[in-house]
Amino acid sequence: MGDINTLMTIFLYGATFGGILALISSGFTLIFGVSRILNFSHGAFFMMGAYIGIYLIQQLNLDPLIASLISILLVGIFAVATYITIIHPVIKNEVMTIIVTLALALLVEQVILLTFGEFGFSYPELITGTISVGGVAISLLRILILAISLATILALWLFIDKTRMGKEINAASQDPEGAILIGLDVNKIFAVTIFISAILAALSGILYSQMYTANPFQILNSLILAFSIVILGGLGSVKGSIISSFIIGFIYIATTTLLGARWSEFIALAIIIVILIIRPTGLFGVEE
Amino acid sequence: MKKITRYWRIKTNELSYLIGFMMVMAVIPIFLPETLLYILGLTFIFIVFSVSWDFMTGLVGEVNLGHTIFIGVGGYVTALLNVPQRFEKTFLSPLATLPQLPIPLTILVGGIIAAIVGILIGLITLRLKGWYFALVTAILPLLFIKATYVFKELFGGEEGFSVGLGRAVAQDTLGKYIVTLVFMAICILVMYGIKNSKLGLTLIAIREDNTLAESLGINIYLYKVFAMAVSSFFAGLSGALLVHYRVTVSPDLFDVPLMLLIILAVVIGGLGSIIGPIIGGFLIYLLKYWVLKVYLVPFIPPTIPINDDIVLYLLLIVIAITMPHGIYERLRKLYLTI
Repeated sequence: MGDINTLMTIFLYGATFGGILALISSGFTLIFGVSRILNFSHGAFFMMGAYIGIYLIQQLNLDPLIASLISILLVGIFAVATYITIIHPVIKNEVMTIIVTLALALLVEQVILLTFGEFGFSYPELITGTISVGGVAISLLRILILAISLATILALWLFIDKTRMGKEINAASQDPEGAILIGLDVNKIFAVTIFISAILAALSGILYSQMYTANPFQILNSLILAFSIVILGGLGSVKGSIISSFIIGFIYIATTTLLGARWSEFIALAIIIVILIIRPTGLFGVEE
Repeated sequence: MKKITRYWRIKTNELSYLIGFMMVMAVIPIFLPETLLYILGLTFIFIVFSVSWDFMTGLVGEVNLGHTIFIGVGGYVTALLNVPQRFEKTFLSPLATLPQLPIPLTILVGGIIAAIVGILIGLITLRLKGWYFALVTAILPLLFIKATYVFKELFGGEEGFSVGLGRAVAQDTLGKYIVTLVFMAICILVMYGIKNSKLGLTLIAIREDNTLAESLGINIYLYKVFAMAVSSFFAGLSGALLVHYRVTVSPDLFDVPLMLLIILAVVIGGLGSIIGPIIGGFLIYLLKYWVLKVYLVPFIPPTIPINDDIVLYLLLIVIAITMPHGIYERLRKLYLTI
């Protein structure tokens, strides 16, 4: 039964892709929920994670695992530096926040284009080999990617729900002025949030470029996918983003498998537009 | 009091600045080489992109990140109407037998279709306050780019297609220059007229305070959709004219770098001021396609990862941080404080 095989493939590939999307979009929605910053450099953090890792592995011969950890940390630091130097001065002006972060994203894209070229790079795989599930051969890499995404999402939830810093972040996202009034250091909270958001993006980028390839155009592509997911899930709702990540993941892989790759983004975006026409607040959003 | 009269003097002077600018532009072709004239013609079209974007974002305060949708829609509509053979074997095949229409008419149709798309997007996204408009308009250009890839027989895929040299807006560079100059003058004067009418004041009132405007009985939703229609109509027209200027249409009309260049121009010039985007559009387009290309790029050693785009983006970040109201507002403030 070829059909069952196809279904299994769509399910498994869709789940891994959905996991990767969940990492990138939950970070994006987290920083938006807390600080109302629409961070257009998020896609840049995503690809920087992959490219810094590739650079460390190829040029400095580091172990892929260590290189990945260093890369994630560097991207986090870069994000905090970005927040302090270019976002913080314009944070009161929403239009300018969009403009400076979008300019930064395109700037990173150009730097990557000039240093690495426009062709895709594959990230050295963290694990190789396959296992057979119900007659379908699945690479262990995909299972690892799915496991890492799910574990990270769980860790994010535990962090926000159980730790003091997480509760402060949650408080600031519900009422920024109230958070200031009860003496929380909102600046510190924003910096920590953008750090977390960026390391999620970098991790996502590393996982993505093991399955597919890293290329500079993914900066804008991933950003637009993250937007779509966040709108679909409802702005600022982390839960909504995670659920709609998997929805988009399945739609994406299903159209790629059944119709061909050039249709995938078109169909995914078209579906989102249709949903928005019917339900403009997204699946889990509330009207502001 | 003195300051207020000065402020009004600037307002009335604005129109004379505009006319002065057009006059200078009408005379300089005598002194300039043809290559520069060609770039200046493109600059005029770009200025209309900037002013029409500013009409929505600067005047009404809704951040439209998908202005290139309308530029592209206008461009593709006029291109297809001029090469109707492309409709053959597609789902729009009845259109393939369209007669050859005059170019001004197809450009106008491009603008009208772009305005219809703009009204539809506005009707859907402007219902909600907050960020939905910005986010939805940010993802839409990609949908249009992907559509040009998916329906390749119709739109020509990544390369686009040519409308043929015979369908250029004028046959020589000077002719093209004059057409774009006249076009820019008309578009700017119309938008300037709307901005300074009661309608324009209503739009500014909405930008300044949504809630207050609403409680004064202004239907902010309809006014925003109206502004969207004006903005997308002029974007569509200028996108269509651009296609007949360079005789090709391709997905780059939809793309993000063009969007950011428009934002850059308006931010540097000053949001919401008509004059600002003209100054910004003029400076930025010439900077990118003439000054940086001719005087900077050839002198950068290949080992350093810098190009003209990086210089522009850095400039944008610095300007956004140091003078968020733009050069024009800065100059005006300076004048008011003297």
